[in-house]
Formats: sequence, structure tokens, C-alpha cells
Amino acid sequence: MLKHGRIFALIYIIMLLTACCAKKNLVVLLPDPDGKTGRIEVINQGGSQTLNEPNKAVAVKSSQTAPEPPVQLREDQVKKLFGETLNALPPFVAHYILYYKKDSTDLTEGSERILDDILGLVPKINPAEISIIGHTDRVGTIESNFRLGLDRASQMKHLLVSKGINENIIDVSSHGENNPLVRTADEVDEPKNRRVEIVIR
Amino acid sequence: MKKIIHQKSFKEASLKTILCWLILLSAFFTASATAADEVIGYVKTIKGNALIVRENKVMTAHINSSILRNDILKTGANSSLGISLKDDTLIALGSNTELVVSKFNFSPAEGKLAIFLKMLRGSVVYLSGIISKLSPETSRFSTPVGDICLRGTHFAVRVEGG
Repeated sequence: MLKHGRIFALIYIIMLLTACCAKKNLVVLLPDPDGKTGRIEVINQGGSQTLNEPNKAVAVKSSQTAPEPPVQLREDQVKKLFGETLNALPPFVAHYILYYKKDSTDLTEGSERILDDILGLVPKINPAEISIIGHTDRVGTIESNFRLGLDRASQMKHLLVSKGINENIIDVSSHGENNPLVRTADEVDEPKNRRVEIVIR
Repeated sequence: MKKIIHQKSFKEASLKTILCWLILLSAFFTASATAADEVIGYVKTIKGNALIVRENKVMTAHINSSILRNDILKTGANSSLGISLKDDTLIALGSNTELVVSKFNFSPAEGKLAIFLKMLRGSVVYLSGIISKLSPETSRFSTPVGDICLRGTHFAVRVEGG
């Protein structure tokens, strides 16, 4: 907590110099693409306010005046205030990496949990596109690793389809051992390279 | 005889030390060189006039222009700029906006995760990426009137004047 305070104090010095002519400053919390809403805290020298509901807004007069109590904005008000900026936001893309056991199409225990995030997100992006790319470590031949990568990706596709995701939106490919996350010499069984990468856009 | 052996091993040892230092130094220089030039994101959308200021050099931003650490992103009147960073963070700048990507460390394999964005003026829409999701305590967004602490989130900010 103390450490936090010190970091902030340092930044305020810079801010005081730039905040000379602020008129109306506003922070609005927006819903995430998956429909959930996060939480933000607006903090300055005067105090802080927490926002945790969609389209709640807080006005801040200056770096030394506490942020004002949050107000609820309507969606059309947010569009009016931020329309041109919202339109400039690039399309949403999510990347996931799931790891595999050695020379196998079995996921590591930690990676199984990421599946739930993916299954929760996909239905909320409409229309969604999913790319699954299989990768391997460098143990074995280039050809056998290409096949293992493809097996991992195809098996992942089947898993997602079995959980209710439309198979027509899923594209599967393999990079074999040629696109490692961690560069190694040949025949090294680096666990971080045994993976599928899933891109949802 | 004994003395000679001793001298030889001393020589070997000092040679080893020098070698170690050379390796360390070269590792340090390559590391800092890649860190400075590392691409951390790309321009994805543009309207009107958008600039990237890098080490006092002003460049016009184009679709797919690279973004490096400490780049200052600037937009003019009736302009906008949309960027995506390597951890899937999405940022949009509205007109008359200025934002600096001060810090961006994205090496989940090594546990190095940090992002620090400094907004100087204008309007920004921010959609947090993997860094803020995994490490909210090292994710910061500062404005001239206060800091916004992230908890895995999408928000919009507007700072007038300046």
C-alpha cells in the first residue's frame, strides 16, 4: 500500500505540469466483448472512486480534487461522447495457448481450465472465427512433428465441437516444430513448445 | 615447478573471467538492443491525421505501422487512430489526443508482465489484454487528472484542454 502511494506521488508531479487547463474530464467503464464488465478504480491526490457497472462514469475536475461520485450514463450518451473513438477501436481478437504432455495429444492439467474461458467467450462474439494452430517440441522428425501438431489441433477442434461450438467456424493447421515459443536445439523436449494456439476473432 | 603450474592456472582463471565478462557484456548489449527496437504492436485503424513520434522523429502513421516502446501517438482534429498491442490490448485514440506507451513487457513464459500507458489529452477507448488480466497490479493507465487502475476491463476516457 505504502509502495503504491509512493509510485503515485511521483507521477503526480508530472501531471501537475500538464493538467493546467482541464475543463471536463470523464472516465466511463464499458462492458467487455464477452458481456461481462470489469472493475476500475480512478485515483488521484484528492481521493478515489471505483466503477464496476457498465456505462458508469466518473468526472474528475483536477488531479487534486477527488473524483466525483459515479453517475449512470445511457448507451446513447456514451456513443455521443465517445462515438468517433469507439469506431476507431480495432476488431476484438483473443489469443489462447494450451500446453500438452510429452509426445501426446493430452492437455496438461493447467491448460484444461483455459478451455472454460474459450467456451464462455465464443458464443458472445457473433460471428466468431476460430483458428487452431498445433505446435510441437523438436524431438522427432520434422514430418512426424507436423503430424503431431495437426493431431493436437484436430483433436482440439473435436473437443470444442463436442462442447457445442459450430465446426464451420473452426480452421485447423499445424506448424510442427518450426514455430517454437522457446528456441531450442534439435531434439530438445521443451514443454512450452508443445502447444496449440487458439485465435478467436 | 609448482610455481609455474600456479601461474598457469592463474592465467587460465583470468582468461575465464575476461571471457565471462565478454559474454555477459554482449548478452547485455544484445538484450538492450532488442528491447529498444522490439515491435510491441501495430496500427490497425486510421482516420485523418495520425502521427507517431519516435526519438524526436515525427512519422505519419499508416495501417500496419509498427509501434515501439516510448512511441508518442498523436491525432489531429477530426482524426482517430486504433492500435493493437501484442497481448491483445486494444486502444483507440479520438481527435486531438496524445498517448505514450511508456512500458510494455509481455513475456508470460518468464513471468514478465507490465503495461503503462500515459494519456496526455484527448479521448481514449481502452480494452485490456492479457497483461492486465494476468497482472493487474503491474497495469497502469495515467491521465493528467488521475490514474486508472485496471481490473481486466474496457473503458473510455476523455481529458479536455491541455
